[in-house]
Amino acid sequence: MKRFFSVLFLTAIFLGCEGFLDVNPQGELTQESFPVSASDALLATNWVYSTLRVWNYHTGGFPFLEFLSDDGAKGSNPNDGVDQAPYDNFTHATTQDGLDRWWNTLYLGIRRANVVIENVPLIQMDEDLRARYVAEAKFLRASFYFDLVRGFGGVPIVTTTNPPIKLARATSQEVYELIETDLLDAIDVLPVKSAYATEDIGRATKGGAQALLAKVYLFQNDFENAEDYALAVITSNEYDLESNFYHANGPEGEQGVESVFEIGAAADRTAGNQYANTQGVRGTPNRGWGFNRPTIDLRNAFEDGDPREQATIIELGDVIDDITILGDGPTPDVTMDEEGNVIEIESYNRKVWYPGNNTNTQFGHNRRLIRYADVLLMAAEALNENDQPGQALVYLNLVRERARQGDPGILPDITETDKDLLRDIIIQERRVELAMEGHRFWDLVRTGKAPEVLGPLGFIEGKHELLPVPQSEIDLSQGSLEQNPMW
Amino acid sequence: MNLDTTQPMPSQQRSLTSTFFFGLLGLILFSSANSTAYAQTEITGTVYDAETLETLPGVNILIKGTARGTSTDPEGNFRVTLQEGETILVFSFLGFETLEVDVTGRTEIEVQLRTVIGTLDEMVVVGYGVVKKRDVTGAIGRVSSEELDNVTSLNVEQSLQGKVSGVQITSVSGAPGAAAAVRIRGVGTFNDSSPIYVVDGVILNDISFLNSADIESMEILKDASATAIYGSRGANGVVLVQTKSGSGIVGEPRVQFSTETGIQQIERTIDLLNGREYAIIANEIRSGSYNNVDAVPNTDWQDLVFDTAPIQNHQLSVSGGSERGDYYVSVGYFQQEGIIEKSSYERLTIKLNNTYKLNKKIKIGNNLTIAPYKQQIAPNATFAVYRAQPLLEPFYDDGSFGVVYNVGNPLADIEYSNNENSGTRLVGNVFADAIIRNDFLLRSSFGVDASLNRARNFTPAFTVFNPDGTASQQNNDFSDIFKRESFNYNWLWENTLSYIKEFDKHSINAVGGLSMQQTRSEFLQLSGQNVIRDGEDFWYVNSSYIIDEANGINNLQANTNGVNDANYFNMISFLGRVVYTYNQKYVATLTYRADGSSKFAKENRWGYFPSVAFAWNIDQEKFMESISGISNLKVRTSWGIIGNEKIEYLRRFSGVNSDILAVLGFPDTPYNAATYGRSGNPDLQWESTTQMDVGMEIGFMENNLTMEIDYYNRTTSDILIDLTTPGHLGNGQGQRITFNAAEVQNKGIEFNVEWQDRVGEMAYSVNLLGNTIHNEVQTIGGNSGIDSVLVGGFLANGQSVTRSVVGRPIGAFFGYKTDGIFQNQAELDAYPHLSQAGVGDLRFVDVNGDGILNGEDRTFIGSPIPDFVYGFNLDLYYKNFDVSIGLQGQIGNEIFNGKNVVRPDPYNFEQHVWDRWTGEGTSNSEPRATYGGYNFLPSDRFIHDGSFLRLRSIIIGYQLPTSVKSRLKLQDARFYVKANNLFTITKYTGYTPEIGSQSVIANGIDTGIYPIARVISFGFNTSF
Repeated sequence: MKRFFSVLFLTAIFLGCEGFLDVNPQGELTQESFPVSASDALLATNWVYSTLRVWNYHTGGFPFLEFLSDDGAKGSNPNDGVDQAPYDNFTHATTQDGLDRWWNTLYLGIRRANVVIENVPLIQMDEDLRARYVAEAKFLRASFYFDLVRGFGGVPIVTTTNPPIKLARATSQEVYELIETDLLDAIDVLPVKSAYATEDIGRATKGGAQALLAKVYLFQNDFENAEDYALAVITSNEYDLESNFYHANGPEGEQGVESVFEIGAAADRTAGNQYANTQGVRGTPNRGWGFNRPTIDLRNAFEDGDPREQATIIELGDVIDDITILGDGPTPDVTMDEEGNVIEIESYNRKVWYPGNNTNTQFGHNRRLIRYADVLLMAAEALNENDQPGQALVYLNLVRERARQGDPGILPDITETDKDLLRDIIIQERRVELAMEGHRFWDLVRTGKAPEVLGPLGFIEGKHELLPVPQSEIDLSQGSLEQNPMW
Repeated sequence: MNLDTTQPMPSQQRSLTSTFFFGLLGLILFSSANSTAYAQTEITGTVYDAETLETLPGVNILIKGTARGTSTDPEGNFRVTLQEGETILVFSFLGFETLEVDVTGRTEIEVQLRTVIGTLDEMVVVGYGVVKKRDVTGAIGRVSSEELDNVTSLNVEQSLQGKVSGVQITSVSGAPGAAAAVRIRGVGTFNDSSPIYVVDGVILNDISFLNSADIESMEILKDASATAIYGSRGANGVVLVQTKSGSGIVGEPRVQFSTETGIQQIERTIDLLNGREYAIIANEIRSGSYNNVDAVPNTDWQDLVFDTAPIQNHQLSVSGGSERGDYYVSVGYFQQEGIIEKSSYERLTIKLNNTYKLNKKIKIGNNLTIAPYKQQIAPNATFAVYRAQPLLEPFYDDGSFGVVYNVGNPLADIEYSNNENSGTRLVGNVFADAIIRNDFLLRSSFGVDASLNRARNFTPAFTVFNPDGTASQQNNDFSDIFKRESFNYNWLWENTLSYIKEFDKHSINAVGGLSMQQTRSEFLQLSGQNVIRDGEDFWYVNSSYIIDEANGINNLQANTNGVNDANYFNMISFLGRVVYTYNQKYVATLTYRADGSSKFAKENRWGYFPSVAFAWNIDQEKFMESISGISNLKVRTSWGIIGNEKIEYLRRFSGVNSDILAVLGFPDTPYNAATYGRSGNPDLQWESTTQMDVGMEIGFMENNLTMEIDYYNRTTSDILIDLTTPGHLGNGQGQRITFNAAEVQNKGIEFNVEWQDRVGEMAYSVNLLGNTIHNEVQTIGGNSGIDSVLVGGFLANGQSVTRSVVGRPIGAFFGYKTDGIFQNQAELDAYPHLSQAGVGDLRFVDVNGDGILNGEDRTFIGSPIPDFVYGFNLDLYYKNFDVSIGLQGQIGNEIFNGKNVVRPDPYNFEQHVWDRWTGEGTSNSEPRATYGGYNFLPSDRFIHDGSFLRLRSIIIGYQLPTSVKSRLKLQDARFYVKANNLFTITKYTGYTPEIGSQSVIANGIDTGIYPIARVISFGFNTSF
């Protein structure tokens, strides 16, 4: 009898219970075994960039930062995207459509960057390339956190691929510190733009990291550092303004001389970017949904004859690339208030226009996240704050000169040297130069002008500087996330 | 299985006439009639009923070990001649126990037969062994082989409908080969709620390969005491299947033959509008749609698509045995055409069960089934038939298909469909039994379940034209070919040691064992377009024939898409059970199983499943002797924990995604990229069910009346559910992670009452069984916040109609509550309403009373889970006739008529639209006619009472008179006529009130299922 028991037992042991029970999934890579090679490292780094083409990366799909500003209204058909309308008059709630999508997608990008930052240093491969991949990921991680801290304030800091499920919010100061560290690391390693081969252009560069860092300092009112890094970009001689203002955002200038960092996109749905489709002309030609409508206020902000107005706003009846813009049937061409004042005109964002007459080609627009004109204006702003108005005017006027397009009768050079007045002029110049590109709301908030400018639209000081943390995140955190003040 | 007596004679086998098989039969008969022998003894005698001492006419008498025999005459007398060496007579009679009598040295005998009562020494098959019925502590339902033939179907489980309390079988589709949803004691999880099947010891997920004629018995293990021995696989119940063997047949082989053919037809049609009625309604919706409603054509699409279809089932088996072993060999053929053209199922089953006794202590053997099959799958014509406008004609004058706007011409769909599945399944085991020191039995069994399946789908290029000659939407520009080959291979090696011993007043029945299992599956699929020829010879994904016509080039790369995927997992288990009985009165069963599964991460791959149970045979107590009338009384109770490991275990792994997604370089160029995909949850485990059961079995009047009643309460916790996780984990918007985080309770009472008796020459039994189900979700995720609701039941238009929430049953229907019709503008203005609502439309109730009508006002409007499931069975034997009736039904569930809700375009209407609102006061239930939109939002308007009572089966049989049989040397010869689904009483207006789904959160939604057919068949079976 004992023999049988022992046979039974020995069989079990012989076959090795545990070994028999170790079975890997078939035909499927798991995270334990990725990334482990030089080619894995490249694949993992590439995927961080693809986050930038995720529709939700662009403020949850809809450019609601423009809706919040005085430049853009929700637009589209009145019945479309009604969940986005509250952003126009600051009645958005903690459950507002898009907040959770944006939050989640920024953290999605952070995770993808963490995959590289955490694992690639462990891979045996070309050391320079390895360092560059990590630096690219740090640049992108910094840009994701920068959006989070600007949008929501202090947020949970995640620097690993396996964070705890419960995580409290860090202070915004701590988030900024992480961003600065990442960008400084990136600046040390990343090549300048011209050092990249043609097929790698579009990857993070030293100049891109410096420009982003300048902006990060500007948001913290650290004008000395902002000046240093903005000037570092300028003196690198890697960048210049496009001679034609249209090219600054258009296809002719993609990855061009003015582009400091942009999102590559091909003119089809799989490799394209829906950012432009969301804002594209609605109706005829059928290019998109028509969100983000230029406001009357924005039209009035342009100086008389400023060619940038036409380069920013598509009007009904415009002919672009031989295509007549007829617009959307059900959308009213002109909307009036009760007293008969025109409050909205059917028009579209010219800066996302991409040649073509269908929706698929509209996906080809390369969104410029940082362009050289932005860097020049940042330099001007920082120099003015650092009491160097003369130098500030040089950079400010470079922007105006290009905008002038050789017409001496318009956009005269600025000569104002009073610090406060010049600050207003620079912010005004940022508004018209960078209109509809997603900068205006931040500029108003960081310069403290938001309550004055946006107050009439519903902005409440102390509350609307930040977006609310998405209610779904508050619920899921089971008490570990606190809501922003007054929300 | 009865270890105390030899194999009882199968009292009933079924089948039918077929000239070919009859001819064959004749040949066999003549050849066997030639056998004669020398030394003979003649025995005469009389057979009596042991109780009444009346003589019994028509009793079958068989000479054991031969096919020869006789039966008693009207006075109960018989005369039989024995050859040398033949000593035992076997007496059998319907309703009586079979009796063997040794007649050595006798010429005249008197025999008394006892009425069948479930004898308590009868052995009951349980997992990994047998236990005396008296010693059973668990809740086990049993179905005999005769009952398995009551429904003509591919799947044996169809025959269980209404036969076992606590078991709910619901058809998912009437298509040939479609499996039914089997639920034992409610719905225990949001995931796979099906039981496991154990066929001759091999653990399987389905038994579609089994021919019902090869089955000896089925036992349904319901409570923890019975299922805990299957550990992590027992939570949804276990169905044990024993197949037939040649054991007990000594001498000449027994041949059994059965044949049956029948026709199927649609049980009932849906009352839809005819052409004229549709035109009238259409004119009302949009005036002037049809100028002359009397001149429009009328097409009855249901009549065109649903046809009568044949079904047939034949089987021939030969079994026999000797001291050296026994064998059972059978061949079966099942073939069913669907009532929709181009759907069919065909299966051949070959069964080989053998045992070889090497010596008195060691026996080896095998059980093997090989089942090649072929299935044709029709397109979903039911939905198109329901929607097609009746005033469109199926064909143009030139014979080509007529356009059917919005849905497509169902006849064209069928014509151009070539969707086929074929393959072979092999299931079986080899085993060795060794008796050690008389009390121990060591068994080693190696089982295999292997199948190869090939799917092939070809759609030619075709176009259905509009009347003006332009192409309609129903077209296929390029022919399509799709192929998929899948291979599954599982092996199971089980070693058990059993110990059975009785001494003094103690009795011990113990088993312990070790089991290992490996499951592998893999598939490879390819598809292509634009095949060079439409003929079947070219239905291959062959590069040189896949042509891009437009460019005149071979375009394989662009036109073929391959997918290759595989899965495998292993399991090791240790199991043990001890049944201890004291003085035949007190029984305790302890069961324990430890399962180690590769599905789970190292830290939590071992699961432990205990169960304890007690039973008290009160009838054995002294004080019961004074209580006459009660012949059997037992109470039992059990508790245990069992698991469900049929889960999506790959969710435990954190995957890596790869795609061409990064756009870099100038010009914009897509590059390969890869990164972490969705996070897995390495802590994933099986779902575990804690089940409690209290039962009582009681028999009155020598068990003429028996009752069994059970209360069960099972709570499944750690149910796998996908939950949203905090954004900072970086899984992205909408991505969820699987957790063991939900809990569901099922409780209820099940009963089974049976009465059997004889009145003169008529023996009968009546059986009523049923169970209540109370199903309630206890926990979902965190029970609050964004994951407190599990949304399901998605219709084709994206609307979801079920919600599972705490305190409600799984998959409860969700939508607006209606409260009449807005009769006039004043009423409309006075009530909160959706902006689309107008006068004559449904009035939805402002459930939350906030004065605003919106999505928040949707509420729970019904449940797909019945309160009560029941069955009623009557068996009657009179002289040579037998009648068997099976009724089955359920009460208290609702059906959501989903097919009526999805209406993006003008479709035909059900007849109730005729009662529509046409002006103030005309109707307060049926709104004004519209093609779709507001009135078709999911609401209680589409909720119907799903209660039904169905005549599941009625069989009338006639056994040839003994005189004829003995002349033909037949032991058994019976003709019968059978009807399945003859009628159904229900208020529901669909093809069937039986709307099952494999998904428990999409249950009871009628999206236009393939109708379940009525079957009328004739059969003949015989044995000799």
